[in-house]
Amino acid sequence: MDEHKLLRPPVEVRYREELKALKATDTGKKPENWQLSPRAVRTFILGSKTPVSYEGGSVTIGKKYFGNDALVERCIITLAGNRGLMLVGEPGTAKTMLSELLSAAVSGVSTNTIQGTAGTTEDMIKYSWNYALLLAKGPSREALVPSPLYVGMEQGILTRFEEITRTPAEVQDSLISVLSDKVLNVPELGDGGILFARPGFNVIGTANTRDKGVNEMSSALKRRFNFETVMPVREVALEKQIIINEVQNLAAESHMDMPVDEDVAELLASTYHELREGVSALGHRIDSPSAVMSTAEAVSVYYQTMIGGYYYGDGTMDVDDLVQNLVGALSKENKEDLTRVKDYFNTVIRDKANKEGGLWKRYYDARKWLK
Amino acid sequence: METILRRQEMAEIKLLPVRHHSPACAWQVRRTIRDWQPHAVLIEGPDSACGLIPAMLDEATKAPFAMYYSYDDTAGAVSEEKEKYRCYYPFLDYSPELAALRAGDALGAKVAFIDLPYGDILAASHAGRGMRREGEKSSYNDDYLLSRSAYVQRLCEKTGLRSFDEFWEKYFELEGLEQETETWFDNLLTYCRQARESTPREQLEEEGCLAREAYMAAKILETARQLSGTEGKHRKAAGEKAGTCRQPAGTEEGLRRILVVTGGFHTPALARRLETGDLTDMPEKLVSARDQGVYLMPYSMEAADALNGYASGMPFPGFYQEIWGHVAEEGERPYTDTVLNMIVHTGKAIRRAEGSTSTYDEICACSMAEGLAALRGKSQPGAYELRDAVLSCFVKGEYNLATDEPMRLLRRQMTGRQVGELCRDAGEPPLLQDFRMGCKRYGLQTASTLENEVTLSVFSKQKHRQISMFFHRLLFLQTSFARRVKGPNLQTGRDRNLMREIWKYKWSAQVMAALIDASVYGGTLEEAATGLVMESLKKAVYAREGALLLSQVLEMGLERQAEQVYGHLSQLLVSDTDFYSLADALRSMTMIRQLQRLYDFQWDIQEPLQICVRRLLGLLPGMARVKEEDMARCMEAVKLLYQVIGRMEREDSPVVNKGDRDKGPAEETPPDNVLLDGYFEALLTMDRDSGIQPGVHGCIHGLLYGGGRESVEQTRQVCRGYLTGTGEQLMKTALFFRGLFFGAKDLVFAGDDFLRMLDEFLCRIGEEDFMRLLPELHMAFTYFTPSETDRIARTAAGFHGESGRRLQERQAVPEAWYLYGRELERYALEEMEER
Repeated sequence: MDEHKLLRPPVEVRYREELKALKATDTGKKPENWQLSPRAVRTFILGSKTPVSYEGGSVTIGKKYFGNDALVERCIITLAGNRGLMLVGEPGTAKTMLSELLSAAVSGVSTNTIQGTAGTTEDMIKYSWNYALLLAKGPSREALVPSPLYVGMEQGILTRFEEITRTPAEVQDSLISVLSDKVLNVPELGDGGILFARPGFNVIGTANTRDKGVNEMSSALKRRFNFETVMPVREVALEKQIIINEVQNLAAESHMDMPVDEDVAELLASTYHELREGVSALGHRIDSPSAVMSTAEAVSVYYQTMIGGYYYGDGTMDVDDLVQNLVGALSKENKEDLTRVKDYFNTVIRDKANKEGGLWKRYYDARKWLK
Repeated sequence: METILRRQEMAEIKLLPVRHHSPACAWQVRRTIRDWQPHAVLIEGPDSACGLIPAMLDEATKAPFAMYYSYDDTAGAVSEEKEKYRCYYPFLDYSPELAALRAGDALGAKVAFIDLPYGDILAASHAGRGMRREGEKSSYNDDYLLSRSAYVQRLCEKTGLRSFDEFWEKYFELEGLEQETETWFDNLLTYCRQARESTPREQLEEEGCLAREAYMAAKILETARQLSGTEGKHRKAAGEKAGTCRQPAGTEEGLRRILVVTGGFHTPALARRLETGDLTDMPEKLVSARDQGVYLMPYSMEAADALNGYASGMPFPGFYQEIWGHVAEEGERPYTDTVLNMIVHTGKAIRRAEGSTSTYDEICACSMAEGLAALRGKSQPGAYELRDAVLSCFVKGEYNLATDEPMRLLRRQMTGRQVGELCRDAGEPPLLQDFRMGCKRYGLQTASTLENEVTLSVFSKQKHRQISMFFHRLLFLQTSFARRVKGPNLQTGRDRNLMREIWKYKWSAQVMAALIDASVYGGTLEEAATGLVMESLKKAVYAREGALLLSQVLEMGLERQAEQVYGHLSQLLVSDTDFYSLADALRSMTMIRQLQRLYDFQWDIQEPLQICVRRLLGLLPGMARVKEEDMARCMEAVKLLYQVIGRMEREDSPVVNKGDRDKGPAEETPPDNVLLDGYFEALLTMDRDSGIQPGVHGCIHGLLYGGGRESVEQTRQVCRGYLTGTGEQLMKTALFFRGLFFGAKDLVFAGDDFLRMLDEFLCRIGEEDFMRLLPELHMAFTYFTPSETDRIARTAAGFHGESGRRLQERQAVPEAWYLYGRELERYALEEMEER
């Protein structure tokens, strides 16, 4: 796959070099059919302090997931075990990213994915038929269209199930027997219709817990998974780092040659952090908006402003633009959110502008766009 | 081993660095003592506790227990405030210090504590530093020294571990059980050196570390001299690495072996001091031993858990206690066994609580813990793997308050439930002895834990009053021994007519713990209660709190303390700017003044009362615009002030002066009518405020009328102002009447003008408004007695040409109405059924 022709190359393409280097130097014990040992998977996701040398060169393994290292370790061990892994949490907490990283590191592929929606049916999860072939040749493996779950079992790789709680509960439940028996029965194929999962197969689900329109999971299905709750990042410094990293990646993908302004990233990180936590660094009590105040949202506000600055502006971050994009990001759910943010500017940002001046002052002056 | 130092006092000294609560440390210390067979084992801990060592080692004494130190700074050695201090030094079975004491004693070695006594540590520390840190239950334990440096933070980051505790567990606990003693102590010492080096000297001095270390070094040398019988001779040491070197002047038989167990943070410094004989920083003078107390007390695992907010060292004492159990029995994989056991027990506890965890969950959790240990490079899963395993495998769904039951149950397991016991000879703090004597004197049962009840005629029998005082003191010290079921309550002002008090009391172990806790305040109940009163007074901000304390002092019979309390109370009265707090204080003090004779007290409360009245008068004019919810409080305060000033006026001023003659010239007390004039002046100022709250407005006019400062006509005029006002003002009439009746209800009976006005008002407003105002009107008439309300009703009925009797007659409901109602209900039911 040529990554330059893709809008968003999958993880295994983007980090091909790192994965190769880790595989070449991996000395740890591997569960059957895993591409890397658990320790190397951990290194791939959490980074290594020293570059990995292989084939004469050396590759630095960067930290890709920020937040809770112990959670990543638990995820890896879960995948090596008998149960599926379910990542739950608020929107924008990098659940999907983590699941992609895990799949790419463990199975070498992150695209074996079922995308859950309200319209997902059982055949999308198990298998369906190529009706032309079915009519011509009758039920055969050739006429069968395997689902990502089927492929995962057949090849011994991970299957990702995105947004599992968006699919109706009864459809979710078709996973139950597959996960416990590791067998999928295709009665149409007769005696040869039993698919036994190969080692290495497992399921990573992601689920939103706070969003509107999600379905509750049955307790039978819950028992087949180990749950990991992904919390929003609670440190401003870390949030800033995530914004910088993500924006750098996005800019590189879009071939935009514009450096990331760390001060703006900090400004945005602190705004999102304070609005989410309901208290400012100076101790003001803040009314939190009802809109999702995730780091992913902050990244997209930054990136949008960056695009504006790159194509229309002078190649720098325009604070007025930033505030306008912030308004766009916030005005999704509730009109009152804007009033809350306005109040936030008139108290917290005002005080910071008085204290720090400079960028904060410009930020405060841009409050005129909050309307 | 690097930790060996040689002294020329014919002694070989081995310094073992430890962390205060650590199974691996305890195990290695015990092993070293058994192998090395020292003649003396010296342990970090205030040496004032040496006398308690036999009790600590008694077979009947079971850990966890704590050494409790108290210090009463009467000499002002710590600070000018001359405060009281206390701290705990908890011991668990796996505390290396306790293991050292036990192993040393088993060998017949001399065992002793060698640190500065508690009071001296405090005196050597700066305010807010070391053991004078504020805001937590103070502990003797100084493991924080090892875990706080920037070095440790970098180390945790570098090793990818979450905290110092996890770091410690991985590198010292888990590996400690496999490594050779020498290697292990060497590693620990290397770590401690780094931690020590990244701590600035000023900080060490401020925290009292230097003084302590000098004292400990001196104690070690003293022991060395005592043991080798070479006291007075002081030869240079030749300490260097690989310390099995021989003393130049000593023979191997003559060489005395001394093992010193201290917190690892102090070991490098002690080694240096012993090598060079440097005893600088030694406190010049020790504080009086008389002011220092030290007792043993039973402790609990819960209290020992660092995660419960007590800075006592390591988290998860229950978990490590179990590890220690396996280690002591020479189990092969103590951590794996303990993790398995805890998973199974937690699973069982969850099943009992919710019933949703299966054996398969437990299997998954075990393999998760093992897998995590392998991934993290640990030989066995530890506390953090256990927690991760339970979180991952037992918590179903999003982890939040509703689903964290498994984690809470695990936490309880890991904390443990053991409670320590003490042997009979452990000694009791004097406060506890005083309590026991009191119980004996008054015939109170402490042999059983059943609740007993006593009825006390406090005002007629001297002994009953004494028992009541005893109970009140215990109540004030929060010992949960006695509770008053019935009787006059001076704090709330309720049941003041009651002549007897009924108390229930119950002896329990908590009472003992609470009394030990309170013993820092004094050796007898009276002293302790007084100490706590003084401390509470210092913390008090509002005059209300001071006056409440005074009422408690009265109940507790602390007559001698009254003067001191007055002093503080007067300061509070002067500094308090809260009108309501001052008013509450005035109420309490007035009540105390009325009741003190009953309680057999002769306090002169006149002075604080006068201060309070003057302060209230100063604040009164500003109270015109109170919020409606504060109206009742404000009206009551205004009225109370009037009553108190009125009473002061009535009391003959020469009588007051007679009592004050010794204290100062009588001229200082202003003539009371000045107060009364000032009072009415303040009311008139309030009246002039156009935004005055209508209830308060009514109340002050009532009082002005009652005090003869206003005629009925003037009052009527104001009332008419509301009645003829515009919409909103008209609606305030009800509030005004409520205030007016509260201030002077006799106005109603001075002619029928006011009732006529009220009647006119009620006729003017519609039914809806009437319903809205009903609660206020209802309140306004509660100030009247039933016969008065009857009289008002009769007069009101007269206005409309009805007799009072007619009002009371009820109109009978015609039978047809009932029938119609029944028909209607039947119809509705049928209709509903059809649909």
